[in-house]
Amino acid sequence: MTQEISNNIPENKKIRLQIKNLYKSFGITRAVQDVSFDLYAGEVHALIGENGSGKSTLVSMLTGIHEKDSGTFILDGEEINPTNQVEANKMGASIIVQELGTLSGLSVAENIFLGHEDRFVNMGVKNTGKMNKEASDLLKKYGFTHINVTDPIDRYNFENRKLVEIVKATYFGPKVVVIDETTTALSQNGRDELFKHMDRIRDEGDTVIFISHDLQEVIDHSDRISVLRDGVYITTVNSEDTDEDELKKLMVGRELSGQYYREDYGEEISDEVVLDVKNVSVPGELNDVSFQLHKGEILGFGGLSGSGMHEIGKAIFGASYDRTGTVVLADGTEINDIPTAIDKSIAYTSKDRDTESIVLNQSIVENICMPSLDETRGKGVLTTTKMIEFASPLAEMIQVKMASIRQFVSELSGGNKQRVVLARWIGKDSDILVLDSPTRGIDVKVKQDIYTLMDDMRKNGKAVILISEELMELIGMCDRILIMKDGEINGEVQRDVDLSENQLITMMI
Amino acid sequence: MNSKDSNTSASTKSLDSIRFKTLIFERMRSWLPIVGLIAIAFLFNILTQGRLLSPSNVELLLSQVYMLMIATTGVFFIITIGGLDFSQGSILGMASIAICVVSRFSIPLSLVAGMLTGAAMGAVNGFFHVGRKIRSFFVTICTMFLFRGVIAYLTSDSPIVATATMINYDTTLVKLSITLVVLAVAIFVYNFTKIGVQTKAIGSGEKAARFAGIKTDKIKFFIYVMAGAITGLAAFVNVVKVGSVTSSSGNQLETQILIALVLGGTPISGGAKSRISSVVIGSLLYIVLSSGLIMLGLTTEQQQLIQGIVFLTFVAIFADRSSLEVIK
Repeated sequence: MTQEISNNIPENKKIRLQIKNLYKSFGITRAVQDVSFDLYAGEVHALIGENGSGKSTLVSMLTGIHEKDSGTFILDGEEINPTNQVEANKMGASIIVQELGTLSGLSVAENIFLGHEDRFVNMGVKNTGKMNKEASDLLKKYGFTHINVTDPIDRYNFENRKLVEIVKATYFGPKVVVIDETTTALSQNGRDELFKHMDRIRDEGDTVIFISHDLQEVIDHSDRISVLRDGVYITTVNSEDTDEDELKKLMVGRELSGQYYREDYGEEISDEVVLDVKNVSVPGELNDVSFQLHKGEILGFGGLSGSGMHEIGKAIFGASYDRTGTVVLADGTEINDIPTAIDKSIAYTSKDRDTESIVLNQSIVENICMPSLDETRGKGVLTTTKMIEFASPLAEMIQVKMASIRQFVSELSGGNKQRVVLARWIGKDSDILVLDSPTRGIDVKVKQDIYTLMDDMRKNGKAVILISEELMELIGMCDRILIMKDGEINGEVQRDVDLSENQLITMMI
Repeated sequence: MNSKDSNTSASTKSLDSIRFKTLIFERMRSWLPIVGLIAIAFLFNILTQGRLLSPSNVELLLSQVYMLMIATTGVFFIITIGGLDFSQGSILGMASIAICVVSRFSIPLSLVAGMLTGAAMGAVNGFFHVGRKIRSFFVTICTMFLFRGVIAYLTSDSPIVATATMINYDTTLVKLSITLVVLAVAIFVYNFTKIGVQTKAIGSGEKAARFAGIKTDKIKFFIYVMAGAITGLAAFVNVVKVGSVTSSSGNQLETQILIALVLGGTPISGGAKSRISSVVIGSLLYIVLSSGLIMLGLTTEQQQLIQGIVFLTFVAIFADRSSLEVIK
């Protein structure tokens, strides 16, 4: 596929960057495998793929954030091997990262010229005046005059800090600029500013690599689109010749259908309330959220990444700091801390699986038994034999692929780690399951098993809360979906065959 | 299609070989301390023409090892939860003062007083570390100086002397029994109780442990208190031997403890790979190494130099890098 494209370079285009046979692994996870494709000078080249498909890893290697395992980047005919971002800048590649890329405590000007301070150093003394002058000229040129270069960067909100990052990443005229999922954090104004500068860079004959989950945005603002799936390069298409549906198909590698989701519609949900959440607020995350969870119900939460939906799970589980409001069970118990939550039959799987759900450097058996140590012990002392007796049937039932149950969890794949987490809570026989992004970065087989498990739970009268960034998953699995926006519930929809992603998206933004 | 298949099988193969290598490496690491102990004992025995392992010297070695082994047991738990403790030497000094004073009324009661004093000192560490959320490294360095200051103040005029009959307890039976009881309880707690499993979990991943319902703060506080109490017992063993407390009692015990743990193979970052056998092997290794060097007639400076090299080598071998690595 790659060769086809490189052989068909349009006449008015020349190749700016060649990516050849790139590989990168983190531990046993292969994040990028044998990726090769070309980028032209003077184009906005979008990079899309599901979470964990390797987009960010790929551009991190280009810009010196991660070291590549093997493969080459050829920029204008010369191989580049940056080992850090400053080096990458000097070679002609820069990046605006997904997270906050400015350093707190430094001034705006210091942030813009971070790593390039040498320009202002004379005889060992830094000329701050000259630096500020140049920074202020740059901001004027970009039209961001509301930002004062001598202010500490902390004085500005996320959006303005991103604008500073645009200046920082582009003022020196890099040949390739990476914009990694920056738009989700920006308001419409901020986005327009960003698109304006993307167009400018293209018109100046340089290249933009644009990463975004918003497919419509990608089609509207890019010239060509490359698709990655599970770390493997799939294809490159012209933005003019494609649509959202085709891109989605390329991203997931199959026709999207409701096949592995629930198929029932119109079932009555019980009136019995098992969990009553009232006026819950968490500073900076949630603002006065109230809802009820019913017996046998799968309740979904959707929203953009900053909408506060992930905090809902923590708030219910008693894991939030500074939470106000009440979370009350049917028997009147208030949940304010994790041990009480677990004791009263609430289970929680975090989106951040590796640091919040499982203890990586511990065995599978201990991870499964952790919340059930009293049950495991029974009468007498807690022995390894008893723990293995408790955990083995659970691990088998949930089909954890493992060499031995005493193997460390760190050696397992993402899907198998999630299976261990689920085995733990099935072992605890929890009545309320709070699942935050349970299928994140997990292959189709495990996904299917998780959906089946959720459906079984529901049928057995347990209640499930599903927090997810995947709208299809919410639509396919939930009896009711609450959409979050800016820390508040912004809308509610009931299970329906005709429910579309767009209906949910309009409530999210 | 073909190329893809061969690609996957090749990478599974390399994965297996990586796993195999780590397995071999793990095995080697777990055997290294005991092999090291035997090797060093034999080496020094030859270098000292058999004096090191002569019956009278073995008894002397053992009499030195009790205090270290007891105190190391408490710190073993602290290291396992991922903490550090530099204040144990000063805690030993404080507890020794309490023991000496109370021994004038009742010797069994003095043992209790030593443990209580140690526990109280441990509670101070625990309060600042857990309650005020300060790293254990800083807290215990501060309390090391603080407690040492109090000891120096209390012993400034003259050493505090225990009752003369205290010497009657300076028998192998008493010291060995205390050591064995401490070890037995520690082995039981670590391997056969809920707290043991939870201790390991906290060291391997505190946040995940908290999300699995473990009361992490409570357990961490408890472990600091317990380590202090155990050092109180070590202080008793020390007082029956020397009979008094000076301003330098217990000086540098904290470093000896940490060296013993590392020599015994405890990963300094804590976690599920800690084995309680490292307390026993490590303490013995440390004592054999340091007395061997003395018997060879090395100067204090030379001894420190060699100890430093050995310590660094073991830390480099046992540092659990896999838990520090970013796995995405």
